Amino acid sequence: MKQDPKAELRVISRTEPPASKLNDSIVVLTAGGAVLCALVFAVALPLGGPLPLYGGALSLGLLLFGVAIRRYFTDRFPDIEAIELREIPDPDHADEPLSDVEALGPRRSFLKRALIASGALFGIGIAAPPIASLGPAPGGTLLRTAWRPGVRLVTNEGLPVQPDDLAMGGIASIWPQDAIGQERSSVLLLRLTTPPVAPTNLDWVVDNVVAYSKVCTHAGCPVALYREQDNALFCPCHQSTFDPSRGAVPTFGPAARALPQLPLGLDDQGYLVALDDFQAQVGPAFD
Amino acid sequence: MTPLFSLLFDTLDARLKLRGPSRKVANKVFPHNWSFLLGEVALFSLVVLVATGIFLTMFYRPSTEATVYNGSYELYQGAQLPAAFESILRLSHDVPGGLLFRRIHRGASHLFIAASVLHMLRILLTGAFRRPREVNYHLGIGLITFAFVAGFTGYSLPYDSLAGTGIRIAYSELLSLPLIGDRVAFWIFGGDFPTGDVIPRFFVFHVLVVPGLIIAMVSLHLALVARQRHTQFPVRGVDGHKFILGKPLWPAQFAESATLVLWMAGLLTAAAVFIPWSDVALLGPYVPGEVGNNAQPDWFMFWIDGALRIFPPLEFSVFGLLTVSGPFVAGILLPGFVFTALAAYPFAERRRYGLRGDWHVLTNPLEIPLRAGFMLGIWSFVLLLSAAATSDILSRLTGVSIENVLWFFRITCVLLPPLLGLAINRYAKRRLARHSRTVARSEQEAQVAAASTEVAAGSKPKQPAQAPGSAP
Repeated sequence: MKQDPKAELRVISRTEPPASKLNDSIVVLTAGGAVLCALVFAVALPLGGPLPLYGGALSLGLLLFGVAIRRYFTDRFPDIEAIELREIPDPDHADEPLSDVEALGPRRSFLKRALIASGALFGIGIAAPPIASLGPAPGGTLLRTAWRPGVRLVTNEGLPVQPDDLAMGGIASIWPQDAIGQERSSVLLLRLTTPPVAPTNLDWVVDNVVAYSKVCTHAGCPVALYREQDNALFCPCHQSTFDPSRGAVPTFGPAARALPQLPLGLDDQGYLVALDDFQAQVGPAFD
Repeated sequence: MTPLFSLLFDTLDARLKLRGPSRKVANKVFPHNWSFLLGEVALFSLVVLVATGIFLTMFYRPSTEATVYNGSYELYQGAQLPAAFESILRLSHDVPGGLLFRRIHRGASHLFIAASVLHMLRILLTGAFRRPREVNYHLGIGLITFAFVAGFTGYSLPYDSLAGTGIRIAYSELLSLPLIGDRVAFWIFGGDFPTGDVIPRFFVFHVLVVPGLIIAMVSLHLALVARQRHTQFPVRGVDGHKFILGKPLWPAQFAESATLVLWMAGLLTAAAVFIPWSDVALLGPYVPGEVGNNAQPDWFMFWIDGALRIFPPLEFSVFGLLTVSGPFVAGILLPGFVFTALAAYPFAERRRYGLRGDWHVLTNPLEIPLRAGFMLGIWSFVLLLSAAATSDILSRLTGVSIENVLWFFRITCVLLPPLLGLAINRYAKRRLARHSRTVARSEQEAQVAAASTEVAAGSKPKQPAQAPGSAP
């Protein structure tokens, strides 16, 4: 069979490793050790042995087999340094056409443009509807939450809340009744030690109890932490800080908007209820 | 060759004529340098990821529906958990070897991304991106982007408390796209967060779409390396522009790669035994409206998280039509800018120095002042942003208030990278001037300059066994 002469290796230096009994033993011992490790792994894993045992056996087996392979190759083959010619781009083909079949005269070149244009339109036409099917149109979804006039504030466990359930300086995580876990409706209920001031809407404060959206206006994390030393609401994700006694305006960090205040009132049984949905946009910016 | 292998090969060879091409492949010369192994480490991590990933797929349930856990992990016995979280608990604590393979998968994902990023760093520092390899460099940037997507979706799948928070932030980032944000977010999430569609969709991305793209792109990446040949570091007395000096694929490179993949898998397994990567049982399932302290993403997302943290409050409406907000600028525009700068850099360098022709020999970045400045500038920026993602932890450890920590990063992220970049740019320029050198405009010019420097320094070029110039 005729060999491609370019495929030949151009050897620059060649060193033969000396035959070594030690090396032979290393190959045999490491390969044998690897098999032993595989055995331990194969027995310990199905029998529910401890993870360090079968994991350790697998790890050691892989490492030992690596040694065996390396040792085998250094002993079995000469160490060769070779040189290879880089392929120099062949300039002879530079002016050649890609194919020998040429399109017919310029008379029909408008066809080409028409076909490309219609191809693009056709592509968009059949690709766009499936993409649009992937999700509902947002419509006003992001402008509303589950809060409606008269909806009770409930805890994670679904219990309604009275102002006195909160200690002075206390804080609670609250949901609309029947919408527990509906993320954008989550609310923080606070009982402030001093009466809040503007821009808090004081009509929506009951006995120093005030409710704000828990969804950060920056990137939507729950504003889950309350820092007592300076009475601040704090988002653990990006450290936006809000002042609950002044309408939860942002005082530090990347948030640019206040946490919306929930219109708060009492029903005839003395439980806290929403008077309406939030009057400002909940959560991060969109569109 | 063993008789069996010989017989098999001859059978195939008689039909497919394999001997010639196989010999050519076996004789392909690989230049040697430790940094060339970074790409291989990434490739083999991908192999480990696919192998362990297939195992995990057998048990994972892509759903957020409430499911009762009845396994052996006491803390959650009888608890109602999202199905995804429940299936991972079962996989980890009730399937023999499940926890080990999950941890190896996790470790390999870190290694895959780390090795890919370091590989890119090597390419950038040494100039392996130069013509004719720009295409492959851009493929590499695409690969890193998809590696990030694979990493993020994988981080999300357990639906633990951190995963849910991460998904929520990703959703907010999509919302922040001006004009089309809510639509795009609803398309990807199937509705308002947290819809039931997000985990099934992330699952499809993570186990099908993204790995499919990554494997296709890696194949192309390697095919291009084979077609365009390796770059190599300068070797005295060898015309690296015309020749490659190294060891043949068989047996030297094969032995090295085989050893590397085994040792890597062995070390990943050892890491899985000793390090409890992402123990989701400790984190707990995602509960809407709840998040704990230390809300950090995976390390490779730190730079974006850091940018979100230190970016000043910003939100304004343009003619009531669209909204531009901090999460958009810091979380989308800024990473986009970094990736664009990386992708555009080869052209900037070529234009700045009027470079001509093809380049195959790697260079010290200090020889190219623009590259030295760009690299230190952009990477110090990314590293400082990453450090900013630990602001809450730093504040707790040092006792400095969180406000001061964030102001520290706001100032250093803006000032330090350009200053460092300019400083090293100046240094590189002076260094060239001291040796009265300029940036070579073609590889031949660079080699002439290097040869004359050697003569000036009085060193004799080492002769290789066979003068490469005499090779056909």
